[in-house]
Amino acid sequence: MPPSARDRILTKLRGAPKCDIQPRPDLPPLVELSFTQEEMIGRFSESLAALTGVVYRVKDQKSALEKLEEIIRAEGLKKLMASTDNVVGPLDLPAWGRKKGVEILTPRDFESRESFKDAVFQVAEAGITGADFAIAETGTIALIHDQDQPRLVSLAPILHIAFVPLARMVPTYEHATRAAFGKKDRLPSQFTFITGPSQTGDIQGTPFKGMHGPRRTIVILIG
Amino acid sequence: MEVRTEQFREIALTELQNSRSRFFLKLIPPVMAVMRANALKSFPDPPAAQAYGAAIRAESVDRLPDLLERFEQKAVANGAEVFWAEDVQEANEFILKLARERGVEYITKGKSMLTEEMGLNDFLGRNGIEPWETDLGEFIIQQLHRPPFHIVGPAINIPVEEVCDLFLKRADLRERTLDPVQLGYAARVFLRDKFHRVKMGITGINMAVAETGTILTVENEGNIRLSKASPRTQVSIMSLEKVVPTMEDALHLLRLLCRNSSGRKITSYVTMDNGPKKKGEIDGPEELFIIILDNGRTQIYQEGKTRQVLRCIRCGACLNFCPVYGQIGGYPYGWAYSGPLGSILNPLLLGLDRTQDLYRATTLCGVCKAVCPAGIDHPSLFLHFRAKDVEGDRKWRGRKRSWKENFFFKGWAWGASRSWRWNLGARFMRRVWNRVSQRGNGDGLRKHLSGWLKCRELPAFPLKTFHERWKQINRVPKKN
Repeated sequence: MPPSARDRILTKLRGAPKCDIQPRPDLPPLVELSFTQEEMIGRFSESLAALTGVVYRVKDQKSALEKLEEIIRAEGLKKLMASTDNVVGPLDLPAWGRKKGVEILTPRDFESRESFKDAVFQVAEAGITGADFAIAETGTIALIHDQDQPRLVSLAPILHIAFVPLARMVPTYEHATRAAFGKKDRLPSQFTFITGPSQTGDIQGTPFKGMHGPRRTIVILIG
Repeated sequence: MEVRTEQFREIALTELQNSRSRFFLKLIPPVMAVMRANALKSFPDPPAAQAYGAAIRAESVDRLPDLLERFEQKAVANGAEVFWAEDVQEANEFILKLARERGVEYITKGKSMLTEEMGLNDFLGRNGIEPWETDLGEFIIQQLHRPPFHIVGPAINIPVEEVCDLFLKRADLRERTLDPVQLGYAARVFLRDKFHRVKMGITGINMAVAETGTILTVENEGNIRLSKASPRTQVSIMSLEKVVPTMEDALHLLRLLCRNSSGRKITSYVTMDNGPKKKGEIDGPEELFIIILDNGRTQIYQEGKTRQVLRCIRCGACLNFCPVYGQIGGYPYGWAYSGPLGSILNPLLLGLDRTQDLYRATTLCGVCKAVCPAGIDHPSLFLHFRAKDVEGDRKWRGRKRSWKENFFFKGWAWGASRSWRWNLGARFMRRVWNRVSQRGNGDGLRKHLSGWLKCRELPAFPLKTFHERWKQINRVPKKN
């Protein structure tokens, strides 16, 4: 059987002269590694605010829901989509929403990818998710995608609201990836860093938000 | 994408007349210098951070075959399918086959220089599959049939009036506006429908992590995330040098990539895929195809000198500071890759003969080398290419020189290698030269040296050389 493209490529690469691998030079550790929790919260909030993200800090779940209601009233939202992850799932937002007169859908309401997409692209005015990590370094939230955390909830609607327990605040990206990729045989199908809203400057260098993803990002830090 | 590297001079001369482009180009270096420096300050020792990045890339390239095998093994264990393509034809045909098998009529794509190298859009278009660029800048240049102006902002030079006219015809714009925000919104609405119903998304890959089999992409708009989340099939393409050893290496390079590229610490979105979606997930791809493309890179790999070109992470910092790029923009480089990164890569992929001007249109100032987070020595590569070109190197398709030029330089080398020859020659030349320039007879010489003299004067030499005058001065007896 003739060698495949793969074999030919690898053979050619292996046939090339070998170079000694130089040892890595020293790299001083990032300053964020020695942050206290308050410093992390400060850095997280500043960084996200600089990108027009909004950060609220509330003390518990009850206040978080109150904050959500405030946002819903202020924005005049009627229909939202929430994921069922381990932060917002337990809040039973659909039931809460019914009490408050807003419709909160979850991906579980949909039988098929197509019907879910119709809802998240055309109906939902905001997406509500939790987050697996808040990364102080750059005001980033990180989401592990799985059956309770579809990719489109934090992406398709024009507004993204994220609930983040403070215990999940970490200093740097490595903390997040070490934890998310810790179980080497069960890597998440997708892991996403979200830092502020969608943006572009592609027309004459004029920046604006909400190119394809959310125009605004609101993070509610709980704890 | 049509290769126009041989029209470098023509296009450069045209671009030099384009005051709009030049206005933008003038802004880039000072603005980027400040933004990049500020962003790099987040490292306690920025030069150390850059050097570490260079070490990661050097190691990635030197360990390439092992890392690629490991990456493939891990990616396959994650459920992805890995396809190796030796050339562009193989890769394009594979994608076409996938699309046809799945009844795909159109695809949405994220920005990928590699797919421009592949000419993927034209290939798919010719075969009945409509490709939609979704990055705003790429969308604009695709509709206008222009090449990219800058690696990060491919349409940044295009005047807003032109974009408005385009969107009135081809996007969801209802009435005239010169507001980039309104225009962007029209594009959002238009492309949103494409994302909603797309069956196959095509993306590039910024980094492939060998340790975990992860593919990583960065973006600000969300179009790559949408192309990965919405359709059932995802095809992600990488050239074979994009692999890095570990996740932590990838994160360090991520920090350097964003800071060097756009002066931001991180892009709005970074996605890391480990295979297709798992059972029970309602969105995300059911199948993930990763294409590893060679297209001449195994050849580049064979020599230590050229191998460093493979370290490039496509940040574009070199473009932002290059004094040559800063005058002419991306078009003259004539292909997917422009600026210094194009001038080191295009000659190796297309041949030294077809890219004559690219590695000569440089001042050798070395700013590219100074800012490069991958530690590439661009100026030494330009000199290397010039030498190989003049020698007529067969492998790299050097062009060789005319017998006249060869003869002249052989004579020059002969005359310059002994001081008596040089001094004799100099004495002779001075007399001839002065006669020629004093009589205004420079025309005789001018014909042969017209390129050289186009922007230089032909002054007369003084009667005595410095050495002669010095000798004379020192012969004068000193008063005590």
